[in-house]
Amino acid sequence: MGGYGDVQLLRDDGLRLDGRKVDEMREVKIEAGILPAADGSAWVQHGLNVAVCAVYGPMEAHPRKIQRQDRAVIDVRYNMAPFSTSDRIRPGFNRRSREISKVTAESLESVVLVERFPRSKIRVEIEILAAEAGTRCVGITAASVALADAGIPMRDMIVGVASGKIEDTVVLDLDKAEDNYGQADLPMGILPTTGEIAFLQMDGDLSVEEYNTCVEYNMKAAKEIHELQIDALKRRYEEKNGGA
Amino acid sequence: MVELVPNLLRQELASLAEKDQRIDGRARWESRQITLETNCLYNAEGSAKVTWGETVIYAGVKFEVRTPWPDRPTQGSLMCGAELRPVAGRKYEPGPPSPESIELGRVVDRGIRESGCIDMDSLCIIPGEKVLGIMIDIHVLSDRGNIFDACALGAIAALRTAIVPAERFDIGEDYPLSVSMTPTMCSFTRVGGRYVLDANEEEELGGDERIHITLGDEGHLHSLQKGLKGTFTPAEFDEILQVAQQRCAELAEIVNSKEE
Amino acid sequence: MGRLVGRHGDKEMSGAKEGAELRLVTPGEAIGASSGVRAGTGTLVQGENIIATKVGWVKDNNGVVSVDPIHSAYMPRSGDLVIGVVESVRNNLWFADVNGPFNGLLPMSLAPWKVEFGAARVHMDIGDIMLARVQEVDEAHNIVLTMKGVGLRKLKDGIMANISMNHISRLRGDSDSTLNKLKEVSDCRIIVAENGRVWVDGDSEGISFMRKVFELVRNDGHKAEFNASLDAMMNQRRNA
Repeated sequence: MGGYGDVQLLRDDGLRLDGRKVDEMREVKIEAGILPAADGSAWVQHGLNVAVCAVYGPMEAHPRKIQRQDRAVIDVRYNMAPFSTSDRIRPGFNRRSREISKVTAESLESVVLVERFPRSKIRVEIEILAAEAGTRCVGITAASVALADAGIPMRDMIVGVASGKIEDTVVLDLDKAEDNYGQADLPMGILPTTGEIAFLQMDGDLSVEEYNTCVEYNMKAAKEIHELQIDALKRRYEEKNGGA
Repeated sequence: MVELVPNLLRQELASLAEKDQRIDGRARWESRQITLETNCLYNAEGSAKVTWGETVIYAGVKFEVRTPWPDRPTQGSLMCGAELRPVAGRKYEPGPPSPESIELGRVVDRGIRESGCIDMDSLCIIPGEKVLGIMIDIHVLSDRGNIFDACALGAIAALRTAIVPAERFDIGEDYPLSVSMTPTMCSFTRVGGRYVLDANEEEELGGDERIHITLGDEGHLHSLQKGLKGTFTPAEFDEILQVAQQRCAELAEIVNSKEE
Repeated sequence: MGRLVGRHGDKEMSGAKEGAELRLVTPGEAIGASSGVRAGTGTLVQGENIIATKVGWVKDNNGVVSVDPIHSAYMPRSGDLVIGVVESVRNNLWFADVNGPFNGLLPMSLAPWKVEFGAARVHMDIGDIMLARVQEVDEAHNIVLTMKGVGLRKLKDGIMANISMNHISRLRGDSDSTLNKLKEVSDCRIIVAENGRVWVDGDSEGISFMRKVFELVRNDGHKAEFNASLDAMMNQRRNA
């Protein structure tokens, strides 16, 4: 990480370059059930990030070597489309994507009731269509909605959100410039009802106090995003309400 | 990817075909509803989203500055690829690019390239040193039949609405990419023994071979491809070519109307 | 994971007052206190609360709180009537896709024919469709099918359609009342299996009518007006 001294990320009035306050999130929009071919799906726009997620399953876990006798395996593919970034990304194997896929799967396995489906797998396909810092978090948020849309049982939803540090100030939800020129980045996956953390990564330099502020910001933002997840799912099915 | 075809489906498609009917009630040469959106991907210089029936695809155009091939010092390049990732359907298992996705990209590429709608010399910046490379990437998000036509439409629409990022490359002011015509693709699948236009997912599952026809201005042919197991007669081809003449013109109109 | 309580007549079984809206919940949402009630399908006890584990409508049936999900995969149970598609055939058994996470296995001993060893494909080949019952399921999801039973057979004609698991009871109606009306109106044989598949056989108009019914189920199956819309469709056909 490390900062580049020439770029000013905090304005003289204390606001960030895009006008946000230090603890303000970018705009988030969520839609559920947008991919007809999938068992469950979601579309999430977070700032200028756009992620789409399709869920297929449960199905028999193939190849056999990934099968677990006592529970389902969550098979995540996080992928950035070639046109998602300013410089085109060549399609193909990407180490960063592979790592994100792994830790995302592990975070989802912490909320999905995987013991209900021994020997099965649940495919979670995350496609980033536009990237502006925080894509792994948007992927997690989208995956949660897609899993719920697919009827996969979970003990809670999960929300992806990141905080960081720019010019010695802790801020919520880094955008691209802040991510590039800032001093720390702390993405988390939070269970909004229980407050548990299922996903955690960090890079940069943070004091313990700064870390705690990051966590506080992330928890608050997670609750806000959770409301949007609920709203997206309810809007999808409320016209199908079997009630009066 | 091998799919399980229920025998009752093939029987049903055959008996419907005998009565000139299709499984979703469409007429033989009737297409599903198409929605085209352009300028919908933030980081792409040209973009399109196509919703064709329940098939959903995105196409994105990216530019780069590169050195030209030594034997063509004043020509830029055009490359078109498609990704048919597991997101698109249950039948798409993870793994390296499948022959299906490679074929898809190459067939769409040929239709656009061979039409000559991009003048390669116009992409020259400094002869022998710097030229523009155009890359079209197609991303299938939901396959509910006839991804070929959806992808071809998205690709040409993204191309026609693309803006060359000259400022970012320090070669002047941004300007719209010059595309001299609108080639479009029309695909036919043999379902229940006869060709139909725009097969949906069930028709593809229970159907046989398919033929893809890309036409440009004045109905000129720019690319042809027959895929999957099966054969056809010249008479059958003439019949679908006639339908394609009309249909491709209608598709071109959908693209061109987006530029207003 | 027991059977859904209160399949038929959503509103009556839910215990909701006449005119009350059913409550839609999402995973993690607290439904109510856990004391004094039993946790049914789609729920989990977490501390002092019952929480939802799926998106769906809350139901309270005689003290069992459950969530009727908007979407579920087919999980086979012993005794289920299923429509299966043969995926592969080995010397003495057939593997069938039964629309669930795992395939079912039909051994020669439970087939309706006397099969010579190695001649299984003569009777039923890849892509063929069978009406069978789930003989047994173990915890590892190994599913054994049987075709020994009244009416169980290879389905040679007609069409097969898929409907969502939670629309099955809608299509059947109370004590199969809706299904019987559809059979009469369409003049078709109709079998609604437990695994989200339906088989229809009749003349082409009858089949075409049933296809429209399936589309109505798909789009409006959860709406309150569904029954009225379906009645209107049937009346239209009767009077045509």
